[in-house]
Amino acid sequence: MIAAFDCSPAALWLSLQVAGVVLALFLPVGIGLGYLLSRPVPLRGLLDALVSLPLVFPPIAIGFFLLLVFGRHGPLGAPLQQAFGWDLVFSFPALVLAAFIAGLPLVVKPIQAAIEGSARELVEASYTLGKGPLETLVRVVIPVVRGSIVAGLTLGVGRSFGEVGITLMLGGNIIGSTETLSLAIYNQVLDGDFDCAARLSTLLGGLSLGLFLLLRRVGRL
Amino acid sequence: MADLSVALRFRRPAFSLAMALTVPAAGITALVGPSGCGKTTLLRLLAGLETPQQGVIRLGERVWFDSARRIDLAPRHRRVGLLFQDYALFPHLSVAGNIGYGLPRGPDRAARIGAWLERLHLRELAGRRPDALSGGQRQRVALARALAADPGVLLLDEPFSAVDAALRQTLRLLLRETVAEVGLPVVLVTHDLEDVRLVADRVGVVVAGRLRRFGETAAVFADPGDAEVARVLGWQNLLPVADWDGVAVGGAWGRLRIAAPFAPRRPEAVAILPDGPRFGEDPAADGPGDQALTVEVVRAVELGGRRALICRLPDRSLLRIHLAPNAPFPTSGTPARLVVPPSAIVLLPTSAYGGANA
Repeated sequence: MIAAFDCSPAALWLSLQVAGVVLALFLPVGIGLGYLLSRPVPLRGLLDALVSLPLVFPPIAIGFFLLLVFGRHGPLGAPLQQAFGWDLVFSFPALVLAAFIAGLPLVVKPIQAAIEGSARELVEASYTLGKGPLETLVRVVIPVVRGSIVAGLTLGVGRSFGEVGITLMLGGNIIGSTETLSLAIYNQVLDGDFDCAARLSTLLGGLSLGLFLLLRRVGRL
Repeated sequence: MADLSVALRFRRPAFSLAMALTVPAAGITALVGPSGCGKTTLLRLLAGLETPQQGVIRLGERVWFDSARRIDLAPRHRRVGLLFQDYALFPHLSVAGNIGYGLPRGPDRAARIGAWLERLHLRELAGRRPDALSGGQRQRVALARALAADPGVLLLDEPFSAVDAALRQTLRLLLRETVAEVGLPVVLVTHDLEDVRLVADRVGVVVAGRLRRFGETAAVFADPGDAEVARVLGWQNLLPVADWDGVAVGGAWGRLRIAAPFAPRRPEAVAILPDGPRFGEDPAADGPGDQALTVEVVRAVELGGRRALICRLPDRSLLRIHLAPNAPFPTSGTPARLVVPPSAIVLLPTSAYGGANA
């Protein structure tokens, strides 16, 4: 770990920051979307497809489209720039957005499946006992599917560490600024520093293994 | 106490339900029918968990759903106690937590939970989680939870299907007593005819999303109205009618004269009631109007106080006949003459889609 930290300290620190922020975002958004998509809401099919898209769509292509949308002249990037002076691409928020989009389906799908499976009838029971959707979410859904929530968050955060395609396009791979751990390995290989790449890969592999063990433990909750 | 009035239409791919009925405020109303006929769907529509395309659902003067006036109360505003088939107890809450879930916070909440724990004999189990309970205990917790929230209607979806036969009888009695004390309209959905006979004051027979028969339990069982409803109500010895000339019915199983002119619709089946027939080889000993069928006894079963005989007709269909224990009967495998009195012959017409009850 220390050897890898010596190799590319900024990248490790940046990846941990990105993981921390996306974890904070996944908690409300992932649980909320999982609950929403388990209910017969309008446009559910469309929303479900949008959330699931990163599972099947090539990350590099998603990154390209997001670059067009959030770029300085893009349909969202230009108004953001004009209204708030925000320049999203090649910045820390771009890295967060990339990790968030890539990991979101991994968070939402297990939660959604758990609610539709074991919790569906419990949700209905709660409604007939006079509770609304929000109270049902807090008092029934979250306690009942907490194992799936932790599993989803673990998968989503794990994905954020390994994200390359969208991050490359949206973050720009600027060394010292938007170079995450995965991109640092890629850059070290390009520079011919295989020793550093190996140490960083070992570190990333260790992080993933830790998350995998956590996931297995969660499975026994 | 208020009656529950329902008149609705509901469609989804490959299934439609159109029903009108009034569930009186007192007593238990059972809905019986084959799997997939729409019984559970009706409960879900009443609870607000599904939305009909058209119709009105009303508890007394309070409208829950009215498609014309665009009224559709959410489940939480309907005050429905719904007992799910597998009880849907909250696994992370104790027995007391489950019972108190629907109760508002307040000074008397604990007392109300305690009263329901006592009422359904759950006091010793108050701190247990549902996974540490037996099937019968879960059922009692689910019933207490549904009633503790002070519902206007109680809906029961196959409440006894997950408990063994020995416990079922105790729970049926408990349900009847509890419901009588509380006093509210109760709709019991079941496919178990024993549930209907022992628990329900009224029964509705649902076939393919339509209410085909509705009335007092004993009256409906005695007169199902048509062959399809008779099958649902467990009538045995239904023989298909292939020939019908106004004075007799027949088929590959044999031929029987009818005693009186039959209703306008063509008979679909003739039912031989199991308790009327007897064996007798001498036609001279037959009573007035008695007729005979040729059968072969397949098996005799002692039923404690009476004997059931399984007989095979010429078309290989089976008849079940009940005899007194001392009544003579032929040996298995030999052709015999079964004497059928007129009172044991019931003609059942083809189904006529009526739809709604009165």
